[in-house]
Amino acid sequence: VSASVRRWGPWLVLAVVLVAALVVGARPKGGPESLDDHVRRVASQVRCPTCDGQSVANSDADASQAIRQDIHDRILQGQSDQQILAFIVSRYGRGILLKPPASGFSGLVWTVPVVAFVLAVAGLAVAFRRWRARPGAVVSDADEALVQRALGNPS
Amino acid sequence: VTAVADPPVDAPGPDPIPPRRRHTARWIAVCTGVVVLLFAGLLATRKPADRTRADSPLLGRAAPATEGPIVGGAAAGTATPGTATLSSLSGKFVLVNFFASWCIPCQQEEPVLKAFDARHTATGDAAVMGISYGDTAANVRSYMSDHGDPWPVIDSVKAKVDWGVRGVPESFLVDPSGVVLFHFVGAVKAADLEGALREAQAAQQAAAPHS
Repeated sequence: VSASVRRWGPWLVLAVVLVAALVVGARPKGGPESLDDHVRRVASQVRCPTCDGQSVANSDADASQAIRQDIHDRILQGQSDQQILAFIVSRYGRGILLKPPASGFSGLVWTVPVVAFVLAVAGLAVAFRRWRARPGAVVSDADEALVQRALGNPS
Repeated sequence: VTAVADPPVDAPGPDPIPPRRRHTARWIAVCTGVVVLLFAGLLATRKPADRTRADSPLLGRAAPATEGPIVGGAAAGTATPGTATLSSLSGKFVLVNFFASWCIPCQQEEPVLKAFDARHTATGDAAVMGISYGDTAANVRSYMSDHGDPWPVIDSVKAKVDWGVRGVPESFLVDPSGVVLFHFVGAVKAADLEGALREAQAAQQAAAPHS
């Protein structure tokens, strides 16, 4: 018993500590979301209009600051996140959202990778099946002699 | 190049490549060539980018209510510059111009805007309203004063988002009833601007021939 404890004990302790740390770290913060956090959460879904690949939440461009201010004001007016995002889209167009919508033509962005993955797996399965050694392949004497010669075995 | 109908008869190998496979590379080359040619054709036949007219979700819709403190241009020098509103200009076409004094294309389009403003202030059918973008009030003030303070310039953070402005310069042509008709991105050209106004006025005439 002591040998197995000595062997597995440290791993067990490590696992317990890891799980505990993950649980503590992943637990949502208590209390209501602050206004700043709320603004950041909405702003992180909006693309900075002037800079590539950044969200409004982490860009200091003039347009981003204006949009953050607008989100801030609209939250204070009691608008929902959906209303705020719909307003921004109504002024900048759909491309302003970082996450493309899951419906209509843009929905392809979400479905094409899944379909491609399924097709690729299916294709590989078919290919592997085909590549499996065919039973009943007959080796002619001439081929066998060729191999033996190549291996340096005199026939 | 003559079509290769039959593969040349080589020394018979132990495992000849099936003829089906021999054309794969050629097919890929032909398809790639066709796609490249189509793409080149598409690019070559597109309208040249010498027009600054741009799309906007606002086109055809009511202009956002726009107002703000006057920070430069006309009336800025008075003791109480006060505020300017877009709606106070209704009844005329209005060119809403987002600009900054540090922006080179804005400086390039300034003479065009000034000529437009001078011509249409005289005829009374159009006006210009400036909105400062990413600029200090002091810089806007001296920039506009250098250009003769032709029109009022307001400051409004809200307007940037309300109009969906991405950078400077951007301009919008608003009709007398307050509907956004045209959107210009980049330094606007005189021909584009006057052309857009003429187009809008012609449409207005056609809609109400008695006026």
